[in-house]
Amino acid sequence: MDWSLVWKAAVSLAGFGILLGAILAIASRRFHVEVDPRVEAVLEALPKSNCGACGLPGCEAAAAAVVAGEAPVTICRAGGPDVAAEVGRIMGVEAGPVIPLVAHIHCRGGKSVSPLRSFYQGVNSCRAAQLVGGGKACPFGCLGLQDCAEVCPVNAITFDEEGIRRVNVRKCTGCGLCSDICPRGLIEMVPADARVFVRCKSRYTGKKATGVCKVACTGCRRCEKACPEDAIHVSDGFATIDYEKCTNCGECAAVCPTDSIQVWVPHDEHPEGGEFVVPEKKKPAGKKRERAGNGDGDQGGGEIEE
Amino acid sequence: MSEAWRYFLLLFGAAVVANILLIRFIALCPFFGVSNSLETSLGMSISVIFVMTMATSVSWIAWNYVLEPLGVGEFLYIPTFILVIASLVQFVEMVIKKTSPPLYKAMGIYLPLITTNCAVLAAATESVKPGFFTKLNIAYHYGFVESIVYTIGVAVGFSLVLILFAAMRERLELAPIPKFFRGVPIAFITAAIFSLAFMGFAGMFGL
Repeated sequence: MDWSLVWKAAVSLAGFGILLGAILAIASRRFHVEVDPRVEAVLEALPKSNCGACGLPGCEAAAAAVVAGEAPVTICRAGGPDVAAEVGRIMGVEAGPVIPLVAHIHCRGGKSVSPLRSFYQGVNSCRAAQLVGGGKACPFGCLGLQDCAEVCPVNAITFDEEGIRRVNVRKCTGCGLCSDICPRGLIEMVPADARVFVRCKSRYTGKKATGVCKVACTGCRRCEKACPEDAIHVSDGFATIDYEKCTNCGECAAVCPTDSIQVWVPHDEHPEGGEFVVPEKKKPAGKKRERAGNGDGDQGGGEIEE
Repeated sequence: MSEAWRYFLLLFGAAVVANILLIRFIALCPFFGVSNSLETSLGMSISVIFVMTMATSVSWIAWNYVLEPLGVGEFLYIPTFILVIASLVQFVEMVIKKTSPPLYKAMGIYLPLITTNCAVLAAATESVKPGFFTKLNIAYHYGFVESIVYTIGVAVGFSLVLILFAAMRERLELAPIPKFFRGVPIAFITAAIFSLAFMGFAGMFGL
């Protein structure tokens, strides 16, 4: 047996190992990037499953964002309150309660109020329909197909007889998958204790908005003026509520001329956990009181049949 | 045959004629794992081109200046290449983390992932042992530049197919596919048809 081959192999491999190890050791010193020790501590506290529910690529990015102050200590949805408390301890702040989120769909323009411009016949998916603009006259409204309902892991999204998607807040876990998939960006994750919602995201203003949907937000800014907390603002032609400021007083809903701002009233017995109501109108008298939405939450087919 | 033409043939042959994914069926794991979306496959492709080129250059040096002279290359090339490539990628990761945070952000997650990916190791091996995986036993040794050109060809071929395939799969998402074929099954069927199409390149320029 040729023993020289054995020691040659051993020496060459050991040599490579020692040489490269030394280079790496020196490099780790030379190219050391100062990392806040808290980043590692926070990373240690996180679940490290890199699930991405926080919207950042992996737990390391989340830890860095928390330490940089770009993300709240409650960023980790998968970890829940325990992880939040631990991260809060490292960062020296009180974690506070992790506010659960629910999905909210910013459209209520059903068949009876939002006319069709054309008939969409094609792949039964909002993302596909969006490519050709969908069939609805309103280019911003819910397409009413089944992408969000399909992606929902807990079947919390159903649709009413108007062809508009609804969220069952009892089932919704706040995962945000529907929010990601909606091609029109209509689904927003809102704090579960939010009660007042703008149910429209039409960028059209005034007559143009009501022309394509009777219940559209016209961007009239009455809500802006009515809000005592400066929590609602009109931009891009529709009102948006800042839920950090909103106190759920419902003043904006009371002045909305098209009822596109509505108040969610939770009912314990209700199959969907509550329903939308329009509060008594304040200024423009003569607006009839209307109850929007219904509670039967049927699971029907999943396509607007016209 | 002029020098430039020879290099072109080497590049073209490595990229298309003997495409690493579709003709040689190496590195199928990233091929199916990363081709879900165009964005990730783009990031992956850039990182693969980068890592493969570096990996081959160090492996070529390790082979020609250490392993071959000692006569231990035949059985030691895999551990040595893995060691050398892994250390190099680690090193480069550290350097770009320090010098270019944006570049690190773009490639960061893919770098450790593809450290000794089968495609990287295959390219490194074939650049010192031409035709190794096709069992051709070509008695020819690439020079340093040739091995680099060859590897860039392999990496470009990998990227080309990965990006094409990712674009295809994004379309397949919307196509009316029978339920049982959705996802990976249809991806494999598509890959097979892709592979058939790529076989058409064999014989170009008399290669």
